[in-house]
Amino acid sequence: MKGKLFRFTAGTRIFHWIHAVCFILLGLTGAALVYSWLQPIANIFGGIQISRDIHRWAAAIFTISIFVFFLLGASGRELRSWAKSSFKFTKDDFAHAKNFPIEFFGGHKPFPPQGKFNGGEKLNSMLMITGLLCIAISGYIMWFASSMPQWLVQWAYVAHSGFALLIMAVFLAHFYLGVLHPDSNQALGGMFNGYVPEKFAYEHYEKWYNQVKVENKNT
Amino acid sequence: MTEKMVFVDTSLCTGCRACSVACKAWNDLEAEKTQLITSYQSQAATTPHTWTYISMHEKYENGKMQWLMFKHQCYHCADAACMKACPSKAIYKTESGYTLIDHDKCIGCGYCTANCPWSVPKVDETVNKSFKCTGCIDRIENGLKPACVSTCQPGALHFGDRDEMEQLAQNRLYEVKKEYPKAQLYGDAIMGGTTYLYLLLDRPEIYGVPSNASIPLSLTLWKDLVHPLGGIAIGGAAIAVVGGVFANFALGNYRNRGKEVAESQDKKGGQ
Repeated sequence: MKGKLFRFTAGTRIFHWIHAVCFILLGLTGAALVYSWLQPIANIFGGIQISRDIHRWAAAIFTISIFVFFLLGASGRELRSWAKSSFKFTKDDFAHAKNFPIEFFGGHKPFPPQGKFNGGEKLNSMLMITGLLCIAISGYIMWFASSMPQWLVQWAYVAHSGFALLIMAVFLAHFYLGVLHPDSNQALGGMFNGYVPEKFAYEHYEKWYNQVKVENKNT
Repeated sequence: MTEKMVFVDTSLCTGCRACSVACKAWNDLEAEKTQLITSYQSQAATTPHTWTYISMHEKYENGKMQWLMFKHQCYHCADAACMKACPSKAIYKTESGYTLIDHDKCIGCGYCTANCPWSVPKVDETVNKSFKCTGCIDRIENGLKPACVSTCQPGALHFGDRDEMEQLAQNRLYEVKKEYPKAQLYGDAIMGGTTYLYLLLDRPEIYGVPSNASIPLSLTLWKDLVHPLGGIAIGGAAIAVVGGVFANFALGNYRNRGKEVAESQDKKGGQ
């Protein structure tokens, strides 16, 4: 594709959208289950018991999809290196994240060249990965509460609610940047056809841009 | 209605389990297949259909065995952990001191089970509702004693106004202590004071119940800290997003981006 750089393989994109759909379903049904004043949300799905079933099905599908997409083929390699790099937070990443609030509200302040994922994205990834792991583990403890020690179930409630609320806040920011933000939403194509504009890539991920350019020349 | 209380004088309990039967009869609870748990005890815990049962504890001292009996049911705590944990606001307190579950509101999540220090409420998985002792609220509000109290043959169960029962418990403790120096009351100093007050012949732990039952720390953290903080986080993020859209709009970033695309297309056209 002319003027575009290939960023995400099909497997990664499918995984992202499975996650997105599960996330929204889990968030809505979960909120209806844990807050009495949000119980009307359950009516969208046909009642509180159906919401609970959907919550568990979505959780199971999402958990299985993690194993499938992280272990198999090209998307597996891509996702594993994404997860790994997200937790390698360098000085350059910090420099990017520090100036990011200005970017968030429509301004611009220069930052050092970034790799495939910039500092802000790494923060998003770190919070999401950590949050999801804690939510999944605590969620399965709650699902099988009757065969778990009571204290563990009690603390699972705290972790499940806490991390869910945290990553919902993170999700709002992610949605804004991916869809609503006039500059950074150029990345959205990467999650549909896998390509992002070259100019955008150069501006936001200069290190990655150069790397891909070299690789493309060599092949 | 004044505050009521049931005084459970375990020193007089013979473990006949008539209370269990009377409870089932009055509350129309189906019989369950039982098995010997230990000694002559036939129930291990409350279930959706068994709201009260007797646990039996064999204590050996100087080559002699003594049975310690304990009647289990909902304690109807003043500070009820189940009520704090319920996400559906289905659990409430009555003026008379009882803790009740509104089954129209109950969603069967089981948070009450997990947060009760004795795991008293139990969810019936077939109807997804939580069940436990109601204190026979329908009887006592009509001037009758609870079913278990009215059936108790050895006189181990007493029902009446709270202050009267507390007095009776103190008197009995004074009597019983002469023979059992470790005798003590159980329920007055936990969970804000329970509606079922026990006279025990030994430490609560001997009976398999926690002496320091309290609202779990995790529950307080969850409801009073994590939920408000999480709400602030989501509210803050939402405000930031709306602010971001407005800021970008005000700065003309949405319009300018359109121009940029148009420019680059012009260039392409010119090439």
